Amino acid sequence: MRTVLSLAFLLILNSITIAQTTVNPDISAVGEFNMFTSFAEGSPEYGKLNFDIPNAEIYVEGYLNPYARATFNIAFHEGEFHGEEIFAEIVRGLPLDIQIKAGKYLLGFGKINTIHPHAWAFVYRPLFQQIYFGDEGFNDIGFDLSFILPTGDIYTTLDLGIFKGDALTMSHKHEHSEEHMDDEENHYEVNRGNSPIFIGRLSSFFSLGDFSNLEVGLSSSYGIYNKLDFYSSTDSIAVPDNKALNYFYGGIDFKFKYRPDSYTAFVLQTEALWNRRNVLRKNELDLDFEKNINTFGAFVYFDYRFNRIFSIGAKYDFTYGIIEDEPKFNTLSNDDQNKTSGIEGWFGYYPIEETLAFRLGVQHLMFSYADATERDDETKINLQLIFSLGPHKAHPF
Amino acid sequence: MLKNILIIFFVSAAVAVAQVKVVTTTTVIYDLVKNVGGDKVEVDYLSRGDQDVHFLEILPSYMLKLRKADLFFKVGLQLEMWAPQLIDGSRNSSLKIIDLSENIAPKEIPTRKVDASLGDVHPFGNPHYWLDPENAKSMLQRIYEELSSYSPENEPHFKENLQSYFAKLDKKIIEWEEKMSNLKQKEIVFFHSAWIYFTDRFGVTIAGYVEPKPGIPPTPSHNASIIKLIQKNKINLIVMDVFYSDSAPNQIASVTGAKVLRIPTQVYGLEKNSSYIDLIDYIVNQISSNG
Repeated sequence: MRTVLSLAFLLILNSITIAQTTVNPDISAVGEFNMFTSFAEGSPEYGKLNFDIPNAEIYVEGYLNPYARATFNIAFHEGEFHGEEIFAEIVRGLPLDIQIKAGKYLLGFGKINTIHPHAWAFVYRPLFQQIYFGDEGFNDIGFDLSFILPTGDIYTTLDLGIFKGDALTMSHKHEHSEEHMDDEENHYEVNRGNSPIFIGRLSSFFSLGDFSNLEVGLSSSYGIYNKLDFYSSTDSIAVPDNKALNYFYGGIDFKFKYRPDSYTAFVLQTEALWNRRNVLRKNELDLDFEKNINTFGAFVYFDYRFNRIFSIGAKYDFTYGIIEDEPKFNTLSNDDQNKTSGIEGWFGYYPIEETLAFRLGVQHLMFSYADATERDDETKINLQLIFSLGPHKAHPF
Repeated sequence: MLKNILIIFFVSAAVAVAQVKVVTTTTVIYDLVKNVGGDKVEVDYLSRGDQDVHFLEILPSYMLKLRKADLFFKVGLQLEMWAPQLIDGSRNSSLKIIDLSENIAPKEIPTRKVDASLGDVHPFGNPHYWLDPENAKSMLQRIYEELSSYSPENEPHFKENLQSYFAKLDKKIIEWEEKMSNLKQKEIVFFHSAWIYFTDRFGVTIAGYVEPKPGIPPTPSHNASIIKLIQKNKINLIVMDVFYSDSAPNQIASVTGAKVLRIPTQVYGLEKNSSYIDLIDYIVNQISSNG
């Protein structure tokens, strides 16, 4: 009897193994290795050849059933593993041809944010993303509904989502060992409670002929970015008001691509973000007062691919806030006084499709402080090797 | 009068509604569907004839084409790795996907574990089977079956078109075989491994490829070995598809004196190739007259 049971168990196990082999998901890995030097005086990297710990991303993706797909993207960044994106999508079968995506993923605010850095034409993350989204991009937990709109020969989608809002508190954490700041100037705590944030994107794709295409998008995000006590009276026994501070991000993006053949491509792309939020500031009596601020950031770049294997390009960046600096106010994105701008140039070499890429990027940053603080410009040079193993899918357009 | 106009309007509207909407991945399939479907199908394609169908960019405009389609015909054998993304993006849950390779006996199926060190090898066999006109007949038969199953009321129309096209194709196959008969066992160097079905049909021998491995760009050392091969075996033809760079073939030709033929493998690969029969005509004429 025991033998029969063992045999039956082995048979079942075998059939499960066969089923799993025939429906294996796609497994891919992308590695990224950076060598860099900095010409920022006083920085420990100044004039030296520095080696970053290699970054890696492991993708497991595939269909769950005829209607849904799932993606697991486990990333190894700065020596630590974390779930970069873990989500499922219902891609067909729902009324009105709605698609639903739920889990943790890069949010559809603008076009670049949804694309992983290894697939960008350039090397350095756009400056405004570093200020308003953080070093890892606008990545959050929640879900969104995607509608396809009846716009004839123009492919138009409307995406509406609701998210936990972790992205807002995590964005600048890497800059500070403590999430809660308590020094004299920055006494606010980042405490959002359970307030969700909302995000929407409307994008239209225009085919301009056999070789040229254009995509235009509008994005927005709204929510509470902080809740804190508001001291507006000198009375020491006065109970402070609890204030919810809101933000609104409006974005516009544009991408044009001309690709006459498989050896040549020219891309012109730009994105801009408008940030409107209410912030607390201190007056001469050290009392809080509320203020609405409006700031913005933008980038524009071109990339020219030639002989299939080479690319060259340049990007101009601008943002309110000072990159990689201590915040002047509560967070970097509350800074409406100081500005950073940058110019980046790159040369890419892709010897065999996208399986291997070498990119040399040079970025020159310029800082402008409202209080006339003098700071030298900074130049960084980065040599990047990116390698891709497995069937990781190309990004659309 | 008004009554007549209304009748004409409703009849033409009904005819328009009855049309089967088809999208194909390639222009060859497009032409075959057009020949079987006639005026009962509305057909469009994704990859242009002068494009490398392996690497089609994922464009939302293609998703829109699939969104409006009833049937989607593809080559299969993992040639169109980009297709699932377009199908998902189309959000068309009633789209029927037909893989035309299911009726074909694939060649060059790898006998060892496939990995990227072998280049862009297709694990289920070489997908360029349409270059054998006999395989085009299998494709036509499958297209006929699928169109008839989707639109049974038009089956007699499809059958008539199929038989008439078969007759035309059979006549052309005899003509092509005749033209190629003096090239039996002739050695030719090809750029990419797309030609096994064509060469097997017409008895031509593939001496080597300009690509060191499928999909891998030419290298100086491999070019040198191809030069030696051409000189040793007195090969006079290098055949390449129109969408590849001719830099390496021209370098090899300048040393060896071989002639480089840029030949399309898809309908509309060149302007004059506006049908499948035109395409094979052009290929046969070019190779037989230069061979």
